[in-house]
Amino acid sequence: MKTDVAAAARRRPPRIPWGMFAAAAVAVGLWDAISQVLPQANLYLPSPGAVWAALLELLAKGILPDYMAESLRRVVLATTIGLAVGVPLGILIGINSKVAECCYPLLNFFQSLGGIAILPLVIVWFGFTEKTILVAINYTVLFPVVFNVLVGVRSVPRIYVNALRTLGASRLRIVRDVLLPGALPHVATGARLGMAYGWRALIAAEMLVGANGLGFMIFNAQSFFLTNRIILGMLVIGTLWVLIDRFVLRPLEADTIQRWGLVQR
Amino acid sequence: MEAKIVVRDLVHEYDDEYTGQHVRALDGLSLEVADGEFVAVVGPSGCGKTTLLNILAGLVRPTGGRILVDGREVKGPGPDRGVVFQELAILPWRTVARNIGHGLEIQGVERGERERRVRQFIELVGLEGFDNKYPHELSGGMKQRVALARTLAANPVVMLMDEPFAAVDAQTRITLQEELNRIAIATRKTILFITHNVEEAAFLGDRCFILTRRPGRLKRVVEIPIRRERRQWKALTTDPEFTARREEILTLVREEVRGGED
Repeated sequence: MKTDVAAAARRRPPRIPWGMFAAAAVAVGLWDAISQVLPQANLYLPSPGAVWAALLELLAKGILPDYMAESLRRVVLATTIGLAVGVPLGILIGINSKVAECCYPLLNFFQSLGGIAILPLVIVWFGFTEKTILVAINYTVLFPVVFNVLVGVRSVPRIYVNALRTLGASRLRIVRDVLLPGALPHVATGARLGMAYGWRALIAAEMLVGANGLGFMIFNAQSFFLTNRIILGMLVIGTLWVLIDRFVLRPLEADTIQRWGLVQR
Repeated sequence: MEAKIVVRDLVHEYDDEYTGQHVRALDGLSLEVADGEFVAVVGPSGCGKTTLLNILAGLVRPTGGRILVDGREVKGPGPDRGVVFQELAILPWRTVARNIGHGLEIQGVERGERERRVRQFIELVGLEGFDNKYPHELSGGMKQRVALARTLAANPVVMLMDEPFAAVDAQTRITLQEELNRIAIATRKTILFITHNVEEAAFLGDRCFILTRRPGRLKRVVEIPIRRERRQWKALTTDPEFTARREEILTLVREEVRGGED
């Protein structure tokens, strides 16, 4: 029964979010109105039309697609590595309640230092290189993942572990059959949060050390007072994230949590 | 014949996590369970029944005393002692069949043999047609049948059951008690069954061990001289032998409850 309802809901054509478009249209209208009355608007706040022109120009030159691809490549790579390292690490720390308790504040500390706060140190280590960018965003992605996996492992009912122990299961078997599946919804949340933090960190890192990418684009435009490119870059950064979050990450997380929730209830 | 479960001078003390109090849960408890016997352990709540079961399961290390199961000292959890818990302990992300076959999977039983035995135990507990259902699709009573089948399928030497029917409704409980009795006859397993329900203990047990209030010791053993094949609720509720034993146990348990209130 439940699955039938869920399947029907999935089959229904997606509703067009007119309300969201309307809100965005109002925001653009407001922006346009301000830029009309602002003196030297091209320098301080170029109009939507001017930004549109910059978009067409950078698309034609191929710069924008290149930079977008570069930034996306970096964040996807960092998220993949972050998950590959973070999930096992979170489980390892989470297995033992004493170890978990001890590591909790430490993980929280490192998580708060995410993104831009560690860039200076990483620049000292690796200079103004690609490596610096990757290390910085990897670091940023890693901690939310570890943290959430840890919480997920701790939230698995103890009775499941005990039941498997009495069936003669090894530690590895308990991790594989109980802790990992039990923590799965938290893994999904950790991945989404990690990628969100990673995206912000990436833009910052590209600004300071990049030679390409969206962060580099807006920072570089500033030196030439190409404000329309700055605004364009900001729009792309924001829009890209909204799209990724809405069409990739949220459905993935919701699907895991909903299906798993249904299974776990 | 040598006893399957031997508990000698079992002592257990611990510091309560919440109150910080030092608790003496068991105080020199000794008991023996014979091969193929069904023993029900009754006592007032908080008398250390569950502690006893957790120690037998190897999940808790006792402060003192000895435990032998099938002649071997208990040092930790092991598949020779199957446990059915009070709380729901089957995995929600596994289907009925995969839950029941889990113990066999752990033992490395190959697929074909595993499926054959899973089918056999699905039939034994009356869950035909539910193989591919997930626990959330089952009623409370059916979930406990899955837990029971999982433990039985792993073929333990002894079965330890910790108030497995406490959370199901009264009607279902009666059915499950009769079915457990039938299964116990069919499998001839040695079973130690923990409960605070006097009727349940008298209905299921060949012998009932009554524990004192905390710190738990063995107060009395009451034999139920009724053949297990004859045990049906409909017949027993009016059986003078059964009612007499039940009253005897009730009186013994009540002495302990009342004593605890002084």
